[in-house]
Amino acid sequence: MISFTSFPSEPGLVQIHETTRHHPSVLDDMDVDDAGNDLSDKRLTYPGETLTSSHAFMRGHGTYIENEEVIASVAGIVERVNKLVTVRPLRTRLFVRYNPEIGDLVVGRITEVQPRRWKVDANGRQDAVLMLSSVNLPGGVQRRKLESDELQMRNFFEEGDLLVAEVQAFFSDGAMSLHTRSLRYGKLRNGQLVSIPPILVRRLKSHFVSLPCGVDLILGLNGYIWVSKHVKQNEQEGEEGFDAAAVYSNQNDEIDASTRNAIGRVSNIIRVLASRCVPLTDIILLEAYDWTMEQDGGVNDLLQDDVSSALVAAIQGRG
Amino acid sequence: MTQSSISLSKAEKSYIQAGLLCDPPHRTDGRPLKAYRQVELETGVAHLANGSARVSIGREGVNTGGGTEVVAATKLEVEDLDDGGIEGGRIICSVSCSPAAYPHLSSSALEDLQQDMSIVLHQILAHRTLHPTNLGIIRGKKSWLLHLDAIVLSDSGNAYDVMFMAARAALWDTKVPRTRSVEYRAPKGSKSAVESEGMDIDPTVSGFDTRQLSKATDFELPDYWDEGEILDGRERWPICVTLNLVPPVHYLDATLQEEAATHLRLLLAYSFPTSSTSTLQGVRLLGPGELSFEATKSLIRQGEKYALEVFTSLEAKLRDEDFRRYQKAQAKFSRTR
Repeated sequence: MISFTSFPSEPGLVQIHETTRHHPSVLDDMDVDDAGNDLSDKRLTYPGETLTSSHAFMRGHGTYIENEEVIASVAGIVERVNKLVTVRPLRTRLFVRYNPEIGDLVVGRITEVQPRRWKVDANGRQDAVLMLSSVNLPGGVQRRKLESDELQMRNFFEEGDLLVAEVQAFFSDGAMSLHTRSLRYGKLRNGQLVSIPPILVRRLKSHFVSLPCGVDLILGLNGYIWVSKHVKQNEQEGEEGFDAAAVYSNQNDEIDASTRNAIGRVSNIIRVLASRCVPLTDIILLEAYDWTMEQDGGVNDLLQDDVSSALVAAIQGRG
Repeated sequence: MTQSSISLSKAEKSYIQAGLLCDPPHRTDGRPLKAYRQVELETGVAHLANGSARVSIGREGVNTGGGTEVVAATKLEVEDLDDGGIEGGRIICSVSCSPAAYPHLSSSALEDLQQDMSIVLHQILAHRTLHPTNLGIIRGKKSWLLHLDAIVLSDSGNAYDVMFMAARAALWDTKVPRTRSVEYRAPKGSKSAVESEGMDIDPTVSGFDTRQLSKATDFELPDYWDEGEILDGRERWPICVTLNLVPPVHYLDATLQEEAATHLRLLLAYSFPTSSTSTLQGVRLLGPGELSFEATKSLIRQGEKYALEVFTSLEAKLRDEDFRRYQKAQAKFSRTR
């Protein structure tokens, strides 16, 4: 089973409109400026390309000034508003890294175990830090950390492990510090990770979403989304009988075929929505899941172009 | 090769493995075990190359990256047989991996990876059984050196299959420039001077006799409307199928996560010189696991089936591509006329 297609044709530059916008009051004297330079042409810049003289124009985003010339700092399209020259980058926003804020819920992956701390990849500009003092330790809520804990840090989290945590503070260099001192935070299992551009994750009341199809979602604000089997509230590892073996376990529970299917389906929905730049909320996800169930297609059908287009159209039609 | 480029937690690995082993088998994206993701292919992407192709598998959406993408291009270079050339031309393959494709690998690990991939590609494609016949220029003097370079631009699993598809498409697309040899003929007057010395010429042909060799000293490129003739034997170039083994099952076209959860991969390079025959051009076993001889034999047999499927659809796509570009060229030509 294999099929070959051609690459979709890139959106032609002709289709991208860029116009010079003017305030109505200055419309009259603009002809003079346009005659003197070719900034009004529709064209692409390359980084380092000289655009115009800095005497006549002001420097906007995506440009810098050197030797009294305005120079593009990105590949993009030149835009001009009156005297302000900006370059709109061709690739932007969607591909930026996660910009953390205190209190954000994130999903991260341990990259390194260091003395008294873990380094966590949370899709930010730099790795986040999870201090040993900011995790729940076995045997009590507010227990002092011991030297023995330091020696067995890999029993809690080791390289590659996924965890859900909250942004607690920032270090002076801008790295975020995480904590998992809550029942709901900690190591992740029974599911799979989907990664999407962080900008597509909307801020919600709760980022722990339970879908009726037996799937739990953790929508990390950093664009990492954990899709897993539903765990009943009362079966979650409680604080009173804090069970370190269960909380830090690497063992998956028994997952039946229908749950696996649902997890796969939800993951594919998230991928499809992200690839079409649809912001993700619990409501949209629910609607999308219902839609795919109505269509009665296989989990894998979703990744076909026509099905995914229909899905996105249906979602946007309802919303 | 054994080290995967991403890290997975133990829970994720066991989730993937358990999914593959349950009945019916279940993959993370819901694909059947033997299904490939969507492949996109385009030939003639590099104008300065003699042949080129871009292949991507499993791209998600129009704007996002994702997917495994490989660009392959061939470049012909004239080589003197005196310094390094081989009679009849030769092929050198190399692979480079973009650091952006493997953000978690250190530079030395990346170098190892591209070295490994280069070796596999070179050993399989530069083999004498696949050698094209029209890479010679002047017998005994000059020949073409064909560089096949592949760049892995992004990797989301199954880089080897994609790389071989791109390589095959680029070689399929390769045009060898026509050459006309130029030889030096002495003017009539001076020729008699040599003969008059009355040398004793042995009539029997000896092995050291070089007079039968062509006297051509150099060549020129005739100005002709196309870029040259197609590289000989373009039906023969092999494709590769990677069988990812999670005993007792195996599956095709692993994603990066699945690759990280699979310890053993069997690479099979098959070539189909005619539609009914097949030759196994190369086998590689990657990973720390081991495989019994019996299991290998049955996997090779099944691999042939998958390879034929990939081969036929790739072949159809390549012919489509040829047709598309021919039409495009015609349209362009009729516009300029």
